[in-house]
Amino acid sequence: MHIAPTLRRRGLLAAAAGLPLPFVRAARAQPSGEPYVMGTLFPMSGPNAEYGEAFTRGAQLALSHIAADNMLRRPIRLQAEDSQALPQPSVVGMNKLVNVDRAVWVLVSWTATSKAVAPIGDRAKVIMVNGGAVGPDLAGLSPYFWNVIALAHLEVPVMVGYLTRQRNVKRVALIYVDDPLGDAILGQLRAELPKAGAELVGSFSVPRAAQQFGPVAARVRQTRPDAVYVASFGGQQSQIIKGLRDNGVTQIICSYSAFSIDSVRQLPEAVGALYTTQKLDFESGDPVTRRFAAEFRARYNQTPVAYHANYYNAAYLFGLLARQVEQAGGEVNGDALREAMLRTRSFDLVGGRGTFDEQGNLMTQMQVNEIKGAGRSEIVQG
Amino acid sequence: MIAYLSNLATQLAIFGILAATLNFIVGYAGIFSIAHAVFFGLGAYAGAQIALLLVPDVVLACLFAAAIAGGLSLCLALPALRVRGEYFVAASLGLQMVAVTLFAELKPLTGGIGGLVGIPLPTLFGVPVGVLPVALAALALVLLATALLARGAFGRTLTAIRDAESAAEALGKNVAAAKTLAVGFACAGAGVAGALYALHTSFVNVESFTMEYSVLVMAMVIIGGTGTLWGPLIGTVILLSLPAGLAFLPFIPPSEVGAIQQILYGLAMTLLMIFRPAGLVGDLSRGRATA
Repeated sequence: MHIAPTLRRRGLLAAAAGLPLPFVRAARAQPSGEPYVMGTLFPMSGPNAEYGEAFTRGAQLALSHIAADNMLRRPIRLQAEDSQALPQPSVVGMNKLVNVDRAVWVLVSWTATSKAVAPIGDRAKVIMVNGGAVGPDLAGLSPYFWNVIALAHLEVPVMVGYLTRQRNVKRVALIYVDDPLGDAILGQLRAELPKAGAELVGSFSVPRAAQQFGPVAARVRQTRPDAVYVASFGGQQSQIIKGLRDNGVTQIICSYSAFSIDSVRQLPEAVGALYTTQKLDFESGDPVTRRFAAEFRARYNQTPVAYHANYYNAAYLFGLLARQVEQAGGEVNGDALREAMLRTRSFDLVGGRGTFDEQGNLMTQMQVNEIKGAGRSEIVQG
Repeated sequence: MIAYLSNLATQLAIFGILAATLNFIVGYAGIFSIAHAVFFGLGAYAGAQIALLLVPDVVLACLFAAAIAGGLSLCLALPALRVRGEYFVAASLGLQMVAVTLFAELKPLTGGIGGLVGIPLPTLFGVPVGVLPVALAALALVLLATALLARGAFGRTLTAIRDAESAAEALGKNVAAAKTLAVGFACAGAGVAGALYALHTSFVNVESFTMEYSVLVMAMVIIGGTGTLWGPLIGTVILLSLPAGLAFLPFIPPSEVGAIQQILYGLAMTLLMIFRPAGLVGDLSRGRATA
């Protein structure tokens, strides 16, 4: 055992160097009258950083609209924490948001990280709003955990109806990651396809980290499907699509809202692929939606997608609820915001009027989109 | 702020236990396992199941977790008896991959990728207790046991095996028994850390026990200094506190926060290894490249 004589001094120095000293200053900077703190807990690094950036853009635009409309008496500060889409960094980040930054509203994503941080938010009575993860087990996670995205079990029936009625699909194969989301989609397809006169001809589980899909594509071809449903997320989706097309699977590829990221929509092999999202017609007459779409394009030089809209809604909802609480003379905290949500239930958001159920899940209409290439997609069933 | 620091300290203590126990087999016995997260996971699932099915007693959960992880340490000890060096690294890599797959697939025990949710808050003999004091006590016990074992005949045997296994065997040392015991101790300790982690976060899933975490714990040991008592603890403090500290940098825009933090984090680790190749507490004469 090598214990150097200067160990204690070295250890203290090292510990002091590693400890985040700015903690102390940050903790004292929270007097009343300061900005409301809205936290974000997104993957901002690693393979899923693309999602985090998209989510953040939606939230940033909402905050600029809240400020421009003078909705609140106090400004809002956006405090970002990098979840890395992993539970352990998420727990650290959530603890910081709740206990140091005193966030009253935290935007979260990713099923596992949402589950990891939900107990912390629940104990601190901080509202957590998910606009990205669609695992059905996220419903009812906590009274303070809300979803502004349709969970997976609401998306599948819409796609099944479209495939069978509009595309005359009779045979569907499923490639899925064996997680709660994949299991839920498998169960939904098993239940919904026979009702629509179709059948699930094969289901192929793939590991979450898999990147080579040649063998899976070969097995999919053997089932002779009319359509292949992909229940994955992140960069793996593009690999699956490429794997299928490279191995001669020419049939319809379809999925849930996870296909709405740029890396999928810009993939040449993804042209013609279908995916469901909540109803988002950016050319509609709805003023909230039109304003969002126009200013998003102007600000980011990019056509918005469902994730941008979801996190816009997630952030904008804070403005709507906090305004109610302020006008009633109350303190803006988790309980007051939840009471305001339960009292009002229906809100004008991007995509139209959305209504929350008692658990805090936003009920919206769904649409089917088709990828047209070069990052564009078109509504094929509104 | 106190709650935040308390949470950070709890994670430091838990990962400190992990690093200290890994250091016991890496630093003293020369067994370079990159499957330590497996035993962390076994302990987490064992502790979580005790808390969910029986009672969230932290001592009971830790003991059960230690028994499960220590018992299954044979999975690591067996290859350690047959191969060394890079070959053992490959064997432990295989164990890590198998274990992660099993964690994801054994849904009745682990909840699959969805994990186990709603793990109740810990108690000690029926009284609610925070994880931090228990984790600090467990860390102190692990460090004390490490110091005592390393100072005694067992530690000298392990060091001899690390430096020259054939010579140790020729001198009559029971290499198989020493390696098995060392691995058992390290894995049981990792199991305790896992149980504490499960009770602390109230949620566990396979994503906390992947190769990334095994590598992270190995990095804690190496940066702090292998074969030293306090080195792994210091490595833990640095590797967990640095990203937490970087989160306080006010000039990073929200959309770039992750990338800039990761770059700074990686840069700091690289510089550290350039200027302290044997780790912060390690012997300065070790680790440097020689011409």
